[in-house]
This record gives sequence, C-alpha cells and structure tokens, in this order.
Amino acid sequence: MPNASSPTGAARPAASSPTGARPTAVRVARTAGLLALVAVVLLFPSLAADPFILSVGVVILSYAVLATSWNLVGGFTGYISLGHAAYSGLGGYATALLILRTGMNPWLALLAGGLIVAAVAIPVGIASLRVRGASFVITSIALVLILQLTFQSWHTFTGGSNGLRVPRPFGTEVLRPEQHERFFYLHAGLLALALLTWWLIERSRLGAGLKAIREDEDKAQALGVPTFAYKLTALVVSAFFTALGGGLYALWFGYLDPIFQFSILVGTYMVLMSLLGGVRSLFGPLLGAVVVGYAVEVFKSQYGDTQLHLVATGVLLGLVVLFMPDGVIPALTSFVNRRRGAASIREVSAEELAQQREEAAR
Amino acid sequence: MTGALFAQSLVLGILLGGLYALLAAGLTLYFGVMRVVMIAHSAFLILAAYLAWFFHERSGLDPLLSLVITVPLFFVVGYGMQRFLVSRLRPISLTTMSVLLTFAVALTIEGLLGFVWTGTQRRVQLPYSGTSLEVFGVSIAVVKLIAFALAALSLGALYLILRKTSFGRALRATTQHPEAARLVGIDTDRVAGLGFGLGLATAAIGGTALALDYTIYPSLHWHWIGPLMAIIVVGGLGSIPGAAIAAMLLGVAASLLQVPLGTTWAQTVFYLALFVTLMIRPQGFFGGRLAQRF
Amino acid sequence: MSTPTHHSTTHSLSTTGLTKSFGGVRAVDDASVTFHEGEINALIGPNGSGKTTFFNCVTGMIRPDSGTVSYQGRDVTGLPPHRIARSGIGRSFQLCRIFPRLTVLENVLVAVQPHGLLQRLRGSRNAADVGRARELLARVGIDHLEHAEARDISYGQQKLLELAGVLMGDPHTIMLDEPAGGVNPALVDRIADLVRELNAEGRTFIIVEHNMELVMGLSDHVVVFDRGRPIAQGTPAVVQDDPLVLEAYLGV
Repeated sequence: MPNASSPTGAARPAASSPTGARPTAVRVARTAGLLALVAVVLLFPSLAADPFILSVGVVILSYAVLATSWNLVGGFTGYISLGHAAYSGLGGYATALLILRTGMNPWLALLAGGLIVAAVAIPVGIASLRVRGASFVITSIALVLILQLTFQSWHTFTGGSNGLRVPRPFGTEVLRPEQHERFFYLHAGLLALALLTWWLIERSRLGAGLKAIREDEDKAQALGVPTFAYKLTALVVSAFFTALGGGLYALWFGYLDPIFQFSILVGTYMVLMSLLGGVRSLFGPLLGAVVVGYAVEVFKSQYGDTQLHLVATGVLLGLVVLFMPDGVIPALTSFVNRRRGAASIREVSAEELAQQREEAAR
Repeated sequence: MTGALFAQSLVLGILLGGLYALLAAGLTLYFGVMRVVMIAHSAFLILAAYLAWFFHERSGLDPLLSLVITVPLFFVVGYGMQRFLVSRLRPISLTTMSVLLTFAVALTIEGLLGFVWTGTQRRVQLPYSGTSLEVFGVSIAVVKLIAFALAALSLGALYLILRKTSFGRALRATTQHPEAARLVGIDTDRVAGLGFGLGLATAAIGGTALALDYTIYPSLHWHWIGPLMAIIVVGGLGSIPGAAIAAMLLGVAASLLQVPLGTTWAQTVFYLALFVTLMIRPQGFFGGRLAQRF
Repeated sequence: MSTPTHHSTTHSLSTTGLTKSFGGVRAVDDASVTFHEGEINALIGPNGSGKTTFFNCVTGMIRPDSGTVSYQGRDVTGLPPHRIARSGIGRSFQLCRIFPRLTVLENVLVAVQPHGLLQRLRGSRNAADVGRARELLARVGIDHLEHAEARDISYGQQKLLELAGVLMGDPHTIMLDEPAGGVNPALVDRIADLVRELNAEGRTFIIVEHNMELVMGLSDHVVVFDRGRPIAQGTPAVVQDDPLVLEAYLGV
C-alpha cells in the first residue's frame, strides 16, 4: 500500500491536467478509425471478388450483430448466456411464421418478431435473474434445448425437423449477387443500430448501474441500484436485437432448420466472439466476430463435416476463459501498455473525461 | 391409460430415475465442494459409454467389465481437472467462468468422440440384450435392471463414503463451510479435488449403465445435461438427497407422460419443472441452503 | 436535512426481536435496538457477536427469520436493499467494497439512480451530477484521482471513495462497517473528522468498530452486542463500566 500514509497523496497513475494537443489527437484518431470502418463496410460488396466472398461477408456481419446484441447483457452485467441462440432462432421463426401465416409484410414481420421475442425474454428473465450466478446460465442452456425439442416436434406449426422455407422479401427477379449485396447493407445497418444502442446505454445512468452490477452486485444494490429491474431491462433489449439478427438472417438465408436455429454452438460463438474481442468495449464483439466468423467459415470449407470445429471451438473457449477472461484484445493492449509504461491507459481515459466535461459545460 | 401400461411406465420411470439420481448426485458433489456447475458431466457420461462400447467391441467381454478401467481413470481425470483447470479460475467469478470452462470441455469431448468414432450411432449387442423379466405382470428388460442395480449400488456406496468415512466428513464440512473446514485443519483444496474425482466416477458408472441400454452418438450428452441441470435446481443446488428425490419424481413423471405425449414432449417436463422452480422457489424444493447465496 | 415528521420519538431506526440463524446458529438473536436520531451511534462487541449480520438484516442484504426493522415510522423489514437505500439509509461494507474497474468518478456516479425509465436513460455524466460527485470527492480529499480506476488507488483512498459513494445517495442515516479497519492512524483521524462534520449537518451515524479509542472518542451512544443481541447501551462512559460488557469482552 504505497499511498496508505497520505490519503490525499497522488495515485500511481498520473491524472494530471490534460494537455491541449492529446485529446484532439485522440479524437481525430477515433473519428478516422470509425470512418475507415464505415468505409470498409460500405465498399466491401464492390470489392468482393465473387458472390461467395460476399455471402461470407453477410455471415460475418450477422455474427457481429448477434455478438454485439449478446454483449448488451453479457458485457454490461457479467451474466453469461450460453443460450442466446434461443432468441436468434425464435426471431427467425417468428419472422417466417408471421409472413407465412398472416401474410404480413416481411419487414414488419421482422420488427414484430423482435418485439415478440423481447416479450418472451421477460418471463425467462424473471425466472433466471432473481438468483445470482448459476441459474441464469443453466436457464439459458435449457431454453435452447427445450426450443430445439419443441420446434423439431411441432410439425403442424413449425414444419418440424423438415425445416421451414422463408419467403424472400425481394422477388426472384433480384439476382443472387444483388440479394447478397442488399442483405449485406441491411445487416450493416442493424449492426450500426445495435452498436449505437450499446453506446447510448454505456453513457446512461442505466449503463452506470449495469456496470456496477457486473463489478459488485451487492454493493450496487446497497447504493440504490434496482439490480433486478436493470438486469431484466438489459436482457430484454439484448433479446430484441438478437431476434432481429436472427430474423434478418432468416430472410436472407430463406430456410430454417431447428437443429441449426436452436444450436448450442451458435450461442457459444456469440460468447466466444465477445470474450475474445473484449466484453467491456463497444467494438470488441465486432472484432471477435470478424476473427471467429472468418475462422469458422474457413474451418467449414477446409474440413467440411468433421467434428474438428467443435474441438477447436472448445479448446479456444477454454483457453480464453483460463488465461484471458477479459478478452484477447484487451489482454494484448494492456500487455503492450505495460511495456510502454503503465500510465498511458489512464491518461487516455482522463483526457476523454476531460473532453466530456468540456462538452457538458458547453 | 390401462393399469398394466401405467404400471409398466411407472417401473420404467423408477429405473430411469435411479440413473438420473446417480448422475445428479455427481453434479451436486461438484457444486457442493466448489460451487461449480459442471456442464461436461454428461459429456463424460457419453465418453464412458463409448469406452464401454469400444471395450466390448475390441475384447468381446461384457461392457460392465470396462468399469475396472473407467472408474479409476475418471476419478484421476476429475481430480486433475479440479486441481489444474477449475482451481485456476478467479474466485470472484468462479461459478460463471466454471460453466464456460466445463462447457468448453464438453464441446471438446463431443468433437473428439465424433472425430475418433464418427457420428454414427453405436449400440452394444449382448446375449441378454433382448431378454426381459416378468415382475408383477410388468415386463422389464434385463439391461435396464442391471443399469438400475448399478446406479443404486453406487449411490449406496456414495452415501456410505460421505457418511461413514473421515474423507466424507471432510467433504461435507468443506461443502457446508469452507473457511471453518480450513480452520479445523482440513485441506479443502485436496478435498475439492477428490470430490471432483468422485463426481466424475459417477459419470463413469452411469455411462457404462447407459451403454447397456441406449444407442449412443456424440451429441447425446445434450439430452442428458438439460434434465440433469433441471433436477439439481429442482432438488436445490448442493443437496444430494434433494437431487435424488427430484430425479426420481421427474424420471417417473417423464416416463408416465411418455405414453400420452410421446418421448419428445415428455422430455419437456424437466424444463417446465426448472422454470416453475425458479419462478416460485428459486432455492429448490428439497434443502439447498446454498442456492440462495449462489 | 430532514427531521422525523411523524412519530414523536427521538429515534428513526429501530429493530424489534430481530433474529437470523445460519444452520442452527443464531447469529442475531431476538435483538431489539433503538438508535438515537441525529447522534453518532456505535455498535460494538466481540468478534462473531453478530454485528455484521445485524447490519445486513437492517439494510436488506439478508432477510431476517423474524422480527422487524422500522425506519422513520415505517416497517422496512425484508425490503430489497435498493429500496432501503432509497429510503435514506446508506451503508459501507466491512473490508471496503468499491467497483474496481470503474473510475473513481464513475464509482460515485453509480449512486444516482433515479426512478423512471426515461430518467435512467439520460446521460450519467450530466453536469449537475458530475458537479456534485466532484464536490463529494473533494470533501473526502480524493478529487485529484477522479480519472483513476478504483483498483489502482490505495486502500485508504478506497475507503474514502466508498464513503463518497454512500454520500452521493444523500442518506439521512449512514451505517459504516469498520470504517477504521486496516487504515493508518492519520486516516482514522480524518475519517473521524468527516463523521463529526456530517453528523453536525444532521446525519445520523451507526458505526460498527473495533477501535475502542475511536468509538469512545467519537460516539454519543454505544450499543454493545454479545451472542447476537444487545447486552448494554448508553453513553461511552456508562458502557465502559458495565460489568456485562467487561465479561463479554474479557470473558471474566
């Protein structure tokens, strides 16, 4: 305890007055990074060599939507759901069934599907979020298993294990590459929406309460945070976006199979992507989705039907949990920062806050 | 439902419940000593079933004999898993992270099973596979009786170990109050390791029993882990008698519902029980003081 | 500061027959305690006498088996902790609990959790809240650290941070669990000064503490716990001479 003797002494990280130049530099770098990301996404379809590459792009963006949505509950509250495929699968089925049974407009059906799934998440959250720790993750796994069972068996309603054909929102006159391109942009739009939501919550009082829950739930409650209501809110918002992701994917892919919709593996990917990229950061899950999604697609095309991708996923998840529970990218960043001198991370956040102070004062 | 059919389902339910009870006892052990929800339990179960099948294929001997190898092997693996993997996790997020870690182990085992023995369904063929016994007008497959006897014997042995040996006392002390156990000189780390070994040994026995009567395939473990988790929640996390009672009740319920509803829908009774329990009594119905705190 | 409006009593927080057992051991056993409004109350007693469990029952962290807790004339027994916090009781934890990966400023801002969804969706760093949080950090003397992550500051500073966080909720009654535990004498003095200042503003304190010098110097009213129930209470001077207290402490 180096500073115990002087309560008013300086802490190790120097939080001195921010220099004039650095914040602008950081802001410029950030804006440039964001613009570059947007540019890459916008240009990708025209740069993609063939429709296959473009379809891989759609798949990766879809993973990014799911992982970012997962992170709305996993990242903020620290409650890990291994069964988020339940919400994406339900989103897909809800969208498809609304179109097929009621003749609803596909985009309206997508939105309605998201709202229905958000409503389904409420009782699930009530059952699993009141007690801490194990119940939530147990329930999440059970939910996927039960949905897989029911959707496989309920032939008359869901098409059962034969699957369900989803009508395409764009007519057959739109050719395949064109379909891919449109859905690529649609997924990018949904991703932007999910990221924006994360960002808004991050800055809100709700976000402050949620992060406090992740750090120390008892303490948060003692400070007046209504923890149960907050956790439930995060879960419902997360389920909504996950369902939109599942529904949009269903509209693109055009076919639903309960085995793949309610797959434990899909839920695992969401966790792995978020953990890998870092659950505390806005773009962490996106980054994880690009890495893992690409690896999954390569694995599938290289090794086809073998079970090796299960082993690879399992081993990778185990390694991340054991050695880098905060994520690979955060671990690398802090490693690099430590080598460059401890203060740098803190200085950046100090400057950011100073910057926000300026903005607030304006 | 006719009387005979009812009796038949009831008996089958009890026989199945016995196996569930043994496996749920294993899950409860892990949770008791370490507050760990061991998702890989049923993956090890299927692994043991595969080993029993493979042993039978290669040696032509009765798969029950594979227990001589798998039980000590699983005990050692369980001990090692606790000492070298689970104990590395940070205490503050242990319960959640251990779920992820054991989940990763389950995926790896499933993948390896599929890689080594392909996804083909396997079944042990024994001279007595088709034999049934007539008891009180109910016809029961001999293999189911053997499986039940095996489960009942192991549960009995487990009970004796926990109640009558000094290790059992140390284990119960560790479960109830780890700090106090350490204060009276119990090496709680070692006890946790041995508890894990014991838990995994139940998976070895259960898997062998399973191989006698079931068609096995790599992803079968998901069909077991769901019901087993439901059982330990309904029974109250950490309570072995609670788990056994819940296993029997739900096993019988699923078996009885199978007649009017079919196998798949009958399975949902486990999940329904899980949700209902969490809604109205999250600490479980039979004991389980621990659940409130975790 | 608010004063008790209803019930013509001079106390705002009291318990009646509060009982909590853990596996057959009664940690709190039929405890009826009345704390003095507007004063600095101390809760002392040997280790394992149930003080922390009592704290946890009062603040809703643990649901008591029987008995009631009433605050400002209202029965608050069994309410969830955040409701109790919002009714005006703030607390610190034994061994100090802060949010290690949030910054010092964020730690304090957590305590601003308004009612209503729209209010909650507002930015957590609006000028008014941040201004008040900074004031409180300045008051406990760690405002220069606001951008540091809480895990990077010293233990003593973390204790001060925890106090600032509690104050952000503007509690009328503040319960501190071992505020002087594990900190150096200079900081103990500083915390004692803060408590006096805050008390002078009208806040009631209930302090669990082992440092007898601090307790006797600081408190107006002392409640002595032994085996889960109060065995004596009164001014520091009275309690010090109580034979029951000597027996409990020294086992005479």
